[in-house]
Amino acid sequence: MAVCALIGVGIMAGVDEIVFHQILGWHHFYDRSVASIGLLSDGLLHTAELLALVAGFFLFADLRRRDALSRSHARAGVFLGLGGFQLFDGIVDHKVLRLHQIRYGVDVTPYDVLWNIAGLVLLLIGMVLAVRAQRRHRSA
Amino acid sequence: MPVHVHPAPDLVGVGPSELVTGAVSLLAAAAYLAVAARLRRRGDRWPVRRDMSFLAGAAALAGAMPSVLPGGPFTAHMAQHLLGGMAAPLLMMLARPLTLALRALPPGGVRHLLVRTAHSRPVTWLLCPPVAAVLNVGGLLLLYRTTLLAGTHHQVLLHAAVHAHVLMAGILLTVSLCHLEPVRQQWSLSWRGGTLLAIGAAHAVLAKSLYVTAPPGTSYALADLRTGAQLMYYGGDLIEIALATVIAAQWYASTGRALLRSRRTPPPRMVSKAL
Repeated sequence: MAVCALIGVGIMAGVDEIVFHQILGWHHFYDRSVASIGLLSDGLLHTAELLALVAGFFLFADLRRRDALSRSHARAGVFLGLGGFQLFDGIVDHKVLRLHQIRYGVDVTPYDVLWNIAGLVLLLIGMVLAVRAQRRHRSA
Repeated sequence: MPVHVHPAPDLVGVGPSELVTGAVSLLAAAAYLAVAARLRRRGDRWPVRRDMSFLAGAAALAGAMPSVLPGGPFTAHMAQHLLGGMAAPLLMMLARPLTLALRALPPGGVRHLLVRTAHSRPVTWLLCPPVAAVLNVGGLLLLYRTTLLAGTHHQVLLHAAVHAHVLMAGILLTVSLCHLEPVRQQWSLSWRGGTLLAIGAAHAVLAKSLYVTAPPGTSYALADLRTGAQLMYYGGDLIEIALATVIAAQWYASTGRALLRSRRTPPPRMVSKAL
């Protein structure tokens, strides 16, 4: 499950970067407002996201090879990762550290609310799946 | 602000350092292919994909000439940096040239010298992942955050020295991270992964800072600077993914071998439990 959560985090970070940064161009490659510490954390996060994706897929392959992969746990892990990262990004990055905002030049509140609710929903789906997987595992 | 036309560097066209680079890569590729062919005639197994990888690396090195690369001067410089400093070392080192040389050379003489050098204390130090990383990042900081880059436009030797350093530092980093060659010390997965994370982050931060602040003493057009910085950022990502894949694939292969062994000979503890 942890392995798939890693993949989930990587995917969500990748989606965030690709969809919102590149396709929509909502927030930019470089925000003039950010301090150097923001730049550093962004670079670290970006690199960690790439490494997490590569490591996640190899760990996944390793689990399959050992026949240790539980599909229901894996699904739960992906959702936990997706939701966890989304919420973390929404709360810590956007609000607490104020690294960047989702969109500039408009009232950001509805976007923030939507972003965090979407993250919460994904996280809840992950939790439900995890509990169900655990039950099935025990009864099996 | 009037658009400042970048003064044409002295090295437009094919300069002496580019001729030397081209000749060296051609010679290296020819030598590699000849030795690999000899090894195969002798009956050794040496995968063709290694030949291909070395050829591609040598081609990347030879093709890394600002005069033939598209884009403005800074973008071309950055493409050269990516090809010569990152892609070429990775592709060439994946072909395991040192292993090839050690297999092909007769015992004693040159072979002994090569082993002695590869196992010597200074080389072992240089191949420590954090040291190799500092050599890389330090070189980049010097190049882009001092007037060094501006200086290379007027001094042929300095220009050549910078590119030689970028190439050598790239080779050191690749060897220290990828564990493909028989060197003295092999570093653990966490050291290599941590170094890759740190250097990837440093590379990304430097690329982003170049997007807004040009190297001191240079006068590149803003659009050129920005394209070059983005090229550095995303090109760095590609190399980083490639390096991470090499490291992860090695882990996968070695744990796979361990798994096979443990399946073939179950540890005694498990047997007693089954009884």
